[in-house]
Amino acid sequence: MTESTLAPPRTYAISAVGVARSFGDVQAVSDATLSVRPGTVTALIGPNGCGKTTLMLMLAGLLRPHAGTISVAGQDPTNDAAAVRDAIGWMPDQLGSWDNLTCLQTLTLMGRAYRLTSAHARERGIALLGMVHLSEFADRPTRVLSRGQKQRLSLARALMNDPQVLLLDEPANGLDPRSRVELRQLVRELAAEGRTVLVSSHVLSELDEMVDDAIFMSKGRTLGDEAASMVADAKLKYRVEALDDGILREALASLAVPFEEADAGVVLRIADTAQAARTLAALVSAGVEVHRFGPVGSALEQTYMAMNEERR
Amino acid sequence: MTITQEQRTRTSVHGNPWLPSLHGTGLVMRIELLRRRPSTKGYIAYGLTFLAIIGLGVLVAVLAGSDKTSIPLELVLVLVLGVGFLIGPSLSATSINGDSGEGVLAPLQMTRLTAGDLALGKLLASWAVSIAALVTTTPFLIYAYGRSGWTLTELLLVLAVILFLVLMATAIGLAWSAIAARAVASVSLAHLTSGALILGSLLLFAFTAPLVSEEVTVIHVQRDSENVTDEQWNDPDFDYEALPCVEVEVPYQIMHSDRTAWLLLINPAVVIAEVSPIVNPETFEKDGRAAPGIFALIHSEVSGARLGPEEPQVYDECAGYFGDEDAWQKRNMEKALMPPAPWLGLGLAAVLLVGSVVIVIRRLRVPYKTLRAGSRVA
Repeated sequence: MTESTLAPPRTYAISAVGVARSFGDVQAVSDATLSVRPGTVTALIGPNGCGKTTLMLMLAGLLRPHAGTISVAGQDPTNDAAAVRDAIGWMPDQLGSWDNLTCLQTLTLMGRAYRLTSAHARERGIALLGMVHLSEFADRPTRVLSRGQKQRLSLARALMNDPQVLLLDEPANGLDPRSRVELRQLVRELAAEGRTVLVSSHVLSELDEMVDDAIFMSKGRTLGDEAASMVADAKLKYRVEALDDGILREALASLAVPFEEADAGVVLRIADTAQAARTLAALVSAGVEVHRFGPVGSALEQTYMAMNEERR
Repeated sequence: MTITQEQRTRTSVHGNPWLPSLHGTGLVMRIELLRRRPSTKGYIAYGLTFLAIIGLGVLVAVLAGSDKTSIPLELVLVLVLGVGFLIGPSLSATSINGDSGEGVLAPLQMTRLTAGDLALGKLLASWAVSIAALVTTTPFLIYAYGRSGWTLTELLLVLAVILFLVLMATAIGLAWSAIAARAVASVSLAHLTSGALILGSLLLFAFTAPLVSEEVTVIHVQRDSENVTDEQWNDPDFDYEALPCVEVEVPYQIMHSDRTAWLLLINPAVVIAEVSPIVNPETFEKDGRAAPGIFALIHSEVSGARLGPEEPQVYDECAGYFGDEDAWQKRNMEKALMPPAPWLGLGLAAVLLVGSVVIVIRRLRVPYKTLRAGSRVA
């Protein structure tokens, strides 16, 4: 593999080139290449068992890759693990907490493990508990938390060391709809503060509004440009439905607008909102009785589904 | 909400350090002890144990005579060793694979804590809990010490050795927990290792006895009475002394236990007997000591094994020599007063302790090269 000999460029907060890792004879990640710009939110998307968590573990410096190069916050987690750990906040997919300890104790002790002073670790713990809406549980043992609350505590724990890079593995799992919206806002805020976030999730409709970029993975490989172009294309799609689809098709043909047949109505490709408004006006003035006109839906979900189609 | 340089005692770190630090080890120990903090039921159980031990102490004090005896003290010390060998490894043997299964190990590995901090912190926390057993026995220990005839230095030395051996057993448990993926496996392996040291060494000593035994022949001199008839025996004038002297070869089984005595010396119970005071079976009263107790007996038997086979007794009927009548007495004194040999056992314990800690640190270092078979990172 010639790619793996190339050093990743320094301008990325996270970059990986040709990364591979196997467990025994199971090739968990066979060829992962990705780069994440600082201050952005990037999604890592793929079906169960495609190697997302393994890739995250390697980026976090918990697992040594068998091939390829990684750079996180300008350091190599394989050789300079301590520096990388200091710059990273990692939220694991497995929910674990110290049952007997209170939420605040948990965060304070984590802060101490990051060498914060006692007073500051406590202060930061209190602030983070407020941020994830767990203040009322500060002095209750973590065993009383529900799954979603543990998930939020885990996020607060990942933020204890004020990390520049956040790796969130399935952060929306088990969260109620309100908490999901809050998570989305929180992740955007973190990115706005200049942090880099890599987030893996199955809840694709949530990701659509949260992320700047997406990396698709399948069978241990990252899908590069083809997936990116599929996402870009999916973002253009508008679904149009009229009372009479025959008139709609004729009108589109006469306006010379290319369209795709769909189960109901047609699908158009529209570059921006201005073009959408113009197209709708043209259709209406051509006498088409349009009752539905809007984006097809989650671009990530469409790409994910299309990717799975190919797989079958 | 960002952290300023003043708030963080941050020094730039590079590479992948593994050495333990005082701060890190202390923090891990604190976390472990907080997690294992007993519940109300736990405190009640400890309280009951404490009361039972005080009751036992009072009972023994009332029933026992006024003579000095070291046996109660020896019983407490054996109890402390036994309980430590059960509790310490039980706790440590689930400490790493258990945490990993619960998903609370990796978040700590992601912090500034090093593999050495985690290894030593977990080891010392499990050890501290297991020596809490020592604290509950304190009232009985004080009473038993009062009539044991031991000096305080001797007691403290034996206690220190017991704590060291429990630390070793705890470290072995921790190493198994770093190696095995499942808690069931690591707990069994930890107890098997302790069992091998305590019982296995004795069994091995017993079973290797035939391998180091041999038959030697000794030559006795006796009157040749083989051809004397019954008639002659009944004849009052028969002169036995007139029979010629002949040499007779007699087969004799000896065991070269000196070759396998090291198996006894590595036994933790033997190690504490070997560091306990030597009691002279003849002058103990004058020396201000109690009569030889269990430890003195163990020391004496182990010394017997170290000394090896006794010189076969040869007798010469014609010269009127029927062996050294004081031999048994002399041998007993030699066994009882033989200089103690705790160093082999202590040395092995030190090697096992250091070896276990090295294994644990190597297995806790991230990024992982290999994982415990059948486990995930977490």
